[in-house]
Amino acid sequence: MKDNSKKKAKGLSLNVRNNLIGYSFILPNFIGFFIFIFVPVMFSLFLSFSHWDGFNPMEFAGLDNFKDIFSDKVFTSSIWKTIYFSVFTVLFSMIASLALAVLLNQKMKLRGFFRCALFFPYVASTVAVSVVFNAMFQKDYGPINEFLRFIGIANPPGWTASTDWVIPALIIVNVWRNMGYFMIIYLAALQGIDESLYEAAKMDGASGWRLFAKITWPLLTPSTFFVVMMLTINSFKVFDLVYLMTGGGPGTASTMISQYIYNQAFVSWNYGRSSAAAMILFLIVGALTVIQFRAEKKFVNY
Amino acid sequence: MKKKFAKAAALGLVAAMTATTLLAGCSSSSSSESTTAASGDTTTAAGDTTEAEKEETEASGEQVTINFPVWDLATTPYTSEMVAAFEEANPNIKVNIIDVAASEYTNKLSIMLNGGADCDVVFIKDGDTIASIAEKGQLEDLTPYIERDGFDTSKYKSFNDYNLDGKQVAIPFKTSHYVLYYNKDIFDAAGVEYPSNDMTWTEWEEMCTKLTSGEGSSKIYGGFLHTWQACVQNWAVQDGENTILGPDYTFMKPYYEMALRMQDAGTIMDYATLKTGNIAYASPFQQGTVATLPMGTWFMSQMIAKKAAGETDVNWGIATIPHPEGLEAGSTVGSTTPMGINAKSEHKDEAWEFVKFACGPEGAKFMAEAGEIPSYQDETTLETIAAIEGMPEGTAEALKTVSIVPDRPINTYSAEVNKMLEEEHSLIMIKDSSIDDVLAEMSERSKQIQGLE
Repeated sequence: MKDNSKKKAKGLSLNVRNNLIGYSFILPNFIGFFIFIFVPVMFSLFLSFSHWDGFNPMEFAGLDNFKDIFSDKVFTSSIWKTIYFSVFTVLFSMIASLALAVLLNQKMKLRGFFRCALFFPYVASTVAVSVVFNAMFQKDYGPINEFLRFIGIANPPGWTASTDWVIPALIIVNVWRNMGYFMIIYLAALQGIDESLYEAAKMDGASGWRLFAKITWPLLTPSTFFVVMMLTINSFKVFDLVYLMTGGGPGTASTMISQYIYNQAFVSWNYGRSSAAAMILFLIVGALTVIQFRAEKKFVNY
Repeated sequence: MKKKFAKAAALGLVAAMTATTLLAGCSSSSSSESTTAASGDTTTAAGDTTEAEKEETEASGEQVTINFPVWDLATTPYTSEMVAAFEEANPNIKVNIIDVAASEYTNKLSIMLNGGADCDVVFIKDGDTIASIAEKGQLEDLTPYIERDGFDTSKYKSFNDYNLDGKQVAIPFKTSHYVLYYNKDIFDAAGVEYPSNDMTWTEWEEMCTKLTSGEGSSKIYGGFLHTWQACVQNWAVQDGENTILGPDYTFMKPYYEMALRMQDAGTIMDYATLKTGNIAYASPFQQGTVATLPMGTWFMSQMIAKKAAGETDVNWGIATIPHPEGLEAGSTVGSTTPMGINAKSEHKDEAWEFVKFACGPEGAKFMAEAGEIPSYQDETTLETIAAIEGMPEGTAEALKTVSIVPDRPINTYSAEVNKMLEEEHSLIMIKDSSIDDVLAEMSERSKQIQGLE
């Protein structure tokens, strides 16, 4: 209720009334949050300790669901696959978006056009992206493999038709999809850096790489923190892209945690196990966020 | 003054927002009943409709509306015709068709049933899922209705499959089984005799080798195995001795070997290509690049429609599906689509009237005339189908069956095991792992799913 702070001096009852007005502003939003987010989350927590098929009475299950999913190889491997996918998505998306932002922050022709063009993937429909990339990754006559053969790679990877290459393929698509959006965030931060800092450094004889390492990068750390955190959360809960491109296959080679949650709930009708898996995902993402916040204090420069 | 204004503004805003929320709620429920499956509104819409119509019923005192969910209504025009005929015969019952996209249907139906009385007639898309629905107690036992009306059950295919624990939970509506489609022109060009109605899988494989010709985009494939695991595994369960529940899957090995052999020889299209290219079975066959296609009988009506619309000029024929060595010709694999009644329905008698009509001789006639195979079959049924304009010669002969083994047994675990088999199937077909390893893996996972360890 910060908006009301300047009126505080006028007395308590006014303050209370102002607070109520403030609350009434957020009430519609909060009702939505409460009904559609808070209640289901709590319900899911409750479900993770029950056996439930969606219709019959629930039974208390204790830790059965957690035992079940951890003895399920598909689940344990889905955790590793999610981590694999996330680590590389975060790393490459960050590097790509930063590089693009630095590039497009320079004075060049058609700068606006390029910025727009690079932002497009982010607003494109995931369904369309999936269909197009599936065709591009086609093993025998997809354009990507045609190109790889053209530059002399005799046995290009099978991409989405290979258990080893399916996750790299998904990472590539995801990085491509993400980089435009995070580029915009970096661009905004870059434009906030005072030119005089560079001028002073140049006066002292610094150039190129040194400018970047000593001025740009340190001043970008708050944005980097934000970018890494958003990317981590997004890639851990990735669902749409995987569901549309591979459906978790071939085999279970690209079944990530979200996909597993979906399968348990809507293929096997096992809401208990599905919720248990969702809780594990929640714990992982929660732990990562805490670690990142701790790290922020250490590494973010201001 | 300022204070008052702020308060008024706040109140006004809250009121406006609440109103918007409410209005949004209203608009979703007052929207049309034919909904797309993607939105969660469907159930609400359907539910509210029931409510609205209930009031109507009370007012007029006679008309009852029953909700009848179906999938992809546009592809089965006979459903609307059948419903219209039923409404004419039963003027006091109105049938409200709820159209849902096929891919979402099973989930949607489950949500409707969990919601209570959102649907009255329970039309089940994948017969094997009925076990878990029945287990939840969502299906009315039809035995008393059958006895009360003296309903004749003798002419149904797979009628007893739906008797679970002594309860008749559904009546079979439509039957589909696998047959062999072939392109006569390719056979003529290659000088190969048309497939007979009594042929083994080995003979089919040899035939495919003879029919394969050409290279690149003009290549003709002798056979075609669609990417469903059913299109390999079905031939392994065709003898009725094993089912996809396993838990030992070594019996599937010969058919996987055949599939890989054909894939390597190039007599069928590569699994990975089909899968990544999202290529379904219909277009290669309709473009005339495939000589023989083992596929379900549901494909007949599509062929007739495409041909009538001039979208394909394939000169096609139907033969009985090939069979394993030593099995009688006409033994095939298939599935039935059943109809039941929601145990929570408020109009069970009316719903029963509809089920009786749709699954009985009247409904069968509409289906047969549209080229679908009703589960209710009398002497004239197959002839009616064969007499449809555009149906190839010899259809009645080819459609005869001696046994139809269910491709997925009616069992609580069928759906889950099937999902697992789908995953493992792809590993064999893309040659990621050896057949033996994958079959062993299937066995292990199947045991885990069914709690057999």
